[in-house]
Parts: sequence; structure tokens; C-alpha cells
Amino acid sequence: MAFHKGQKVVIFRKSEDEGWGEHMNQYVGLHGIITDPDTTKNDPDALIEVSVEGKGTHRFPQDCLRLLH
Amino acid sequence: MPDIKCPVNQTLSGLRTAIASGQLPNPRSRRIAEEILDLLTDVAWGRAGGDHPAAIAGLADELAYDETSPGAMATARSVRDALGEHREVFQSHIDTHNCATGDCVRLVPAPCQMTCPAGIDIPTYVNLIGRGHDAEAIEVIRRDNPFPWVCGLVCTRPCEIMCVRGRVDKPISIKFLKAFASERALSDHHYRNPAKEPDKGKRVAVVGAGPGGMTAAYYLAIKGYGVTVFEALPVAGGMMMLGIPRYRLPREVIDREAAMLEELGVEFRFNTRYGKNITLDSLKSDGFEAVFLAIGAHQSFKLNIPGEADFPQVIEAIDLLRRVALGDRRIPGKHAVIVGGGNVAIDAARTCLRLGSEEVTIAYRRTRAEMPADVEEVEQAEDEGIHMSFLTIPTAVAGTDGRLSGLACIRATLIKKNDSERLFPVPVEGSDFVIEADTVISAIGQRIDLECLSDLKKLKWTRRQTIQTNTVSTETSIPGVFAGGDAVTGPATVVEAIGAGKRAAEAIDRFLSGIPQPKMPPVPVRRTRVEWMEVPASTKMTLRRPEMPLLNLERRRTTFQQVELGYTENVAREEARRCLRCDICLRCGKCVEVCRDMMGINALEFGFLNFDQPAATDFRVTAERCILCGACAANCPNQAIRIIDRGDERLLSYCGTILNRHKLEHCEECGAVLGPPRYHEFLRKRTQAISPAVNILKLCSACTRRQAARIHVDNTPV
Repeated sequence: MAFHKGQKVVIFRKSEDEGWGEHMNQYVGLHGIITDPDTTKNDPDALIEVSVEGKGTHRFPQDCLRLLH
Repeated sequence: MPDIKCPVNQTLSGLRTAIASGQLPNPRSRRIAEEILDLLTDVAWGRAGGDHPAAIAGLADELAYDETSPGAMATARSVRDALGEHREVFQSHIDTHNCATGDCVRLVPAPCQMTCPAGIDIPTYVNLIGRGHDAEAIEVIRRDNPFPWVCGLVCTRPCEIMCVRGRVDKPISIKFLKAFASERALSDHHYRNPAKEPDKGKRVAVVGAGPGGMTAAYYLAIKGYGVTVFEALPVAGGMMMLGIPRYRLPREVIDREAAMLEELGVEFRFNTRYGKNITLDSLKSDGFEAVFLAIGAHQSFKLNIPGEADFPQVIEAIDLLRRVALGDRRIPGKHAVIVGGGNVAIDAARTCLRLGSEEVTIAYRRTRAEMPADVEEVEQAEDEGIHMSFLTIPTAVAGTDGRLSGLACIRATLIKKNDSERLFPVPVEGSDFVIEADTVISAIGQRIDLECLSDLKKLKWTRRQTIQTNTVSTETSIPGVFAGGDAVTGPATVVEAIGAGKRAAEAIDRFLSGIPQPKMPPVPVRRTRVEWMEVPASTKMTLRRPEMPLLNLERRRTTFQQVELGYTENVAREEARRCLRCDICLRCGKCVEVCRDMMGINALEFGFLNFDQPAATDFRVTAERCILCGACAANCPNQAIRIIDRGDERLLSYCGTILNRHKLEHCEECGAVLGPPRYHEFLRKRTQAISPAVNILKLCSACTRRQAARIHVDNTPV
């Protein structure tokens, strides 16, 4: 899934990726908006920037994100 | 996740309950408890001073003297225990105006501020700009970001994506307002550095003079450290200077803001490359006690197609941009093809055009919808005449005798593979074609220069070939070495690098002071709470986000003059008035619920309150239905919505937006304020059954009681 700026997502699970920090566990289940996807090549492996509602902006592995429709 | 409560808020609630429940029968105890309540409220509202905790503790001791009252003893004990156990939390509320749990509602940052990687107090500065206080606005910004002007021109503005006004119509133009205020403040000589803390006698080395490195240097210098910034290039700015073309970010902007660092005593050593001129050991032997690596991601990926290495006219976009940034204005080729779909590809294409290329084509493997570059940048590029060739896969660089003649390509189609929703470009057999070109520029991504850090044997790397750090504290695997910016995240944004630089400065300060590192990322700090601006509901709804005026096309195609010309004063002030003040309204929706469910009026059409599925918003609707009863205001936890009696009128204000106003009526007996006719009519209907006899008169509750009693006396047989 290639994410785009402004899309609403849910952090639906923890990620096994090394980019997942322990402090991110508290964000599981929260909603957010993609603020900086990979702006070079839509790399599905890139860490992308998500602003989580009420919790600030963080870079997440894409495998823990799901689009909200 | 455990439900963590704020001890300040809990102490405050406990004390309120103790006072209200009559646990303090002694008037003296009650008075002391109310004084403690006032002081605790100051802490919870972010207006307490350094001596508040001591004053609260003193009053709690006084309260405990009342040995005859078990309630007073228990109340005093609970206050003292809370202060003792959570002294740091109380102090943090005072020092940072910040409540980590969000329980102290006055201190909760707005969504825009929470979103900003640098944590800038956006509602405050936007409203200061609206009031014409540009210099103060810049002072607020620079507490969290030393580069307001740079960010005003090139920030990717995540804040605007989260802006609540965007759920009503369009987000506030936060970025351009920042640029407007920066330009004003700098030209009026109102750009000032904050006061430095006393010299700590310790030195920190910053490697890289990009946004991350310079931000760390700025905050470390303010904290009293001696900071030296080592930069491989002859200029400061990093990717801001080399990767962003001058038509988006003039050099003077970077130079002026970088000069503010020198004013703070930060030393710059240019033409000094890590790994060549300096190493970790040499820095240590020179007396540096901590190092911040902010080397960026300056190396390009290769196209990996035949012929790429055979022609000198195949260049990398970052090299082209760097060369041009340093003053080289030679045309790379008359017919340029740029391979890639990101922002760097767009920047390279627009740069070629300005250098004199007659035909510039961007070749991208997917379609416009998948293009990762910013939509505005793509639109501006197309306006300028840059041709887009979508679904185009380069296959080889064509040419003869060392002279490039074109880029051989094949058409692509997008298909889904396996279970992935991602669309993959697949070549269409037999669709080969050649784009005529005399230069091919690759812009398919950057990576960091691993070679230059080869002396750091213990430095851990991620599988993405970036420096592995603790994302909260920016610590690397080597004690005393911190890292941030593109070298950690991969190519990212200026504001993200600034945020990392700020976090690194805090972490380095802790490291050098022997304080443990935090476990959670910092929560942005509310700098102040400026009064809102009064705006009629109709104005609030009809004000539109202004378009940015642009340089005319001919100049855009031929010069490096700044394309975005900036807002005029009137436009900027008006735009600031559209702000909804989400630093005050928490969007809890209590006002809407009370109005709709308790009062049965439903006068508040606040569809923007819902994050996931915002509905329609119209502030003008309120005036049609609202009776000015004040139930919404009474239930607002943060005084965002207020009932105000002004002169002979009653107003309903939502963060300064005047939703409704009506003339007041007065008691026909005593002249006391009754409220507006609508409200009176509402009450009359509700109380008709109880006191029908007095309803013909407009009376206050006291006079109604007197009238009712008189009627009762007159009509009751003796």
C-alpha cells in the first residue's frame, strides 16, 4: 500500500520492524493522518510520518498502518 | 496502556470535593483550603511561579494544625502526600506549562501544535500575527524552532494537514503566516536571540550545518554550552542550502537565520569533513564531551541501467542542485530528462528550466496519483512548462561516441501483485520508445554516506542503512554520540530535522548533567495563552484561505527569483482571524450535547468536532436557534464558549466567534437583568404550568416569588 499525504489511518497493530519503539505501543488503536509519506519513491519499506491524534507526530513502519475509509 | 492520571488534577479534584462536601466545618480551615485551591488552579492552568509548591506545602501545614477536624487533617495530608510524591510533575507544570496526561485541560496543546515535529505553539503565534504583533509571534516560534523564515517558505506544513479549520473548509495558511511575520520581524530588526544561560564550561561538537545540526547548536548554546559546528561544505544550511533551489528558499534567508547562531557564540568550521578532517577521537582530544551527528543523506541512488556510467551527461539531481546552489549556472543540457517522481525530481526539473533547458521532461514509472512529490510543486512545475511522462520505465541511456542522445524507455502498466494493494509498474512488451535528451538526471532517492563514519566501529546501523538511535533521546550505540535528521530517518523534512535537533540538545544536556534520558517523546509546550480575537460568525464562515501570489511565468522560467511572493499585511491579518483556537476549545462536544440533548434546542452545528467523520459546520446557524440560555457555556470545561453581557446585549462567544447576540430584557419590577426575550419566552413556556398568574409580566425570579406569594395571600381564604 502506498500512502499519500492527508490520508487518515489507524495504527492497527504493533510492528516487528526495528523502527517500532517501545513507546509506540501506546499508539496502537489510535487514528492519525499521514503527514509525510515517502516523498522520493513510494518505498513500501520506508518509515512514514504520521500525526497521531493527540499524541504528536512520529515515523511508523507501514505494516502497522491501515487506511480509514 | 495504563490510564495515567495527573496528580495535579487529582489533588485539585480531591480538594474541591473536600470543600464542597463539608469535610472542613471550621471557617479557618475552609479559607486555607480555598487558598490552596487557588494556588493549585494556578499550577493546573500554567500560570504558577517557582514558589507555588512551597506556598502550597506551607498552607497544607497550616491546615493540619486543626487537630479537632479529621477532615482538615486528611485533606492536608493528601495535599502534602501529592506534593511529596509528585514534586517533579508539579514542577513540570510550572516550568513547561505542560500536562503530560492532558487532564489539566488548559495546558493541552492544539492539534496543529501536537502535529508540528518541532512542537511550535501555533495558535499563539497565529493570533499574535492577527493582532499585528509580528515580533512577538517570531519570539514564540523561535522558542521551538530557530528557523521561522526558512520554515515559512519550505515547511511541508504537517500542521495544516491536522488543522481543525480544514474540517470546516480549508486549513489556516500557517506556513505563509509564519513567512509573513518572519520577513516583517527581520526587516524591522526585531529578530532577537533569547538570553543565554550561564556558561557550563563544556563543549559539544555538531557534525553537519543542516537544519538538524544548527537547531541542536542553537539550543545547546542557549543552555550555556560551547558549540562548534563542523561542515564539509563552504556554507551553512545543509540540504536547505544545497537541496532546495533558490526560487523556493533564497540564500539570504538561510544566511540571516544562521547568523543568529553565530551571535549566540556558535562557532562554524566550514570545509571540514567528518572522516577526513576530523574523527571522534580527534574531537574528544580537542575537549568535546558530546557529539551530535547530523550529516544528512547526500548520496544518490544509481539508476542501474545500461549506459549510465558511459556518459558524463548522466548526472545526479542532488549534484546538480548542489552545484547550482554554490553558484554554477551552466546549462546541463538543452533537452533534459529527469528520472523520478519525488520533490527532488521536481526541483531538478525546474532548476534545469531556469538554467536555460528548452525542453524538460520528468519520466516517472507510475501515474500522477502515485507521484510522491507535493501536489503544489507538481502543479507549479507543469505551469512552468515541464512535461510529465508517466508510466515510463527507463531501460538504457542511448548515445554514441560519449555523447548522450536520449533515454530509452518502455511503457508501463500498473498491476496488483499477490495480496498487496500496492500497484507495481510492469513493462508493456513492444512499447519501447526513446525520449530525446542531451542530459539525463537521476532523482530516485538519496542515502547517507556510510564511508565518512567508518571510524565509528561501534555505531549501529538499521537495515535501511541509517544510523540506529533511540528515537526519543537521539542516543546512538556509542555513549556521548547522538544523531538526528536525514542520517537517522532517511531523506525527510526540514521541520522534522529541526525537531530532532531540539530533542538532541535536550538529550545532550541531560547526558552532560548526569540526568537520565526520558522514556517518552516530549509533549509540545504551550508558551502562553493569548486572548482570542472577536469575529462575527458570518465573517468567520465567509473568510476564505487566500491564494499565494506567484511571480509571473516568464520570470519563473528564466530566473531564480522567489516564486511565492508572500501575503500582504491585510491578507495575513485576515487569515489569522480564521483560526478556531483549538488551544482553547478541546472539541469534547459537551456544548453540543447539552444544547441538543438537555435543552432540546440543537443550535450548535459544530461538525468539525469529529476527527474521523467531520460533518457540516456553520456558525451562523446558532443565531437562528440559540436562546442564549448559557447551558453550553456552563458545561464547557475550558471556558471556550462563553455568555457575555455587554451593555444592553447578551452575546454567545465561541473562542471569540460571536455566535449569537440579543438585546437584554430587564425585570419590570426591580430592573434586574432577565436575559434576552428568546430565553425569557423559553422559560415562560417551561414554567407556565407552575406560575401562570405572573407570566404576563417580565419578572426576575425574586420578583416572581414575591408576586406569587402576593397572589397566594390575596386568593387564599383566611
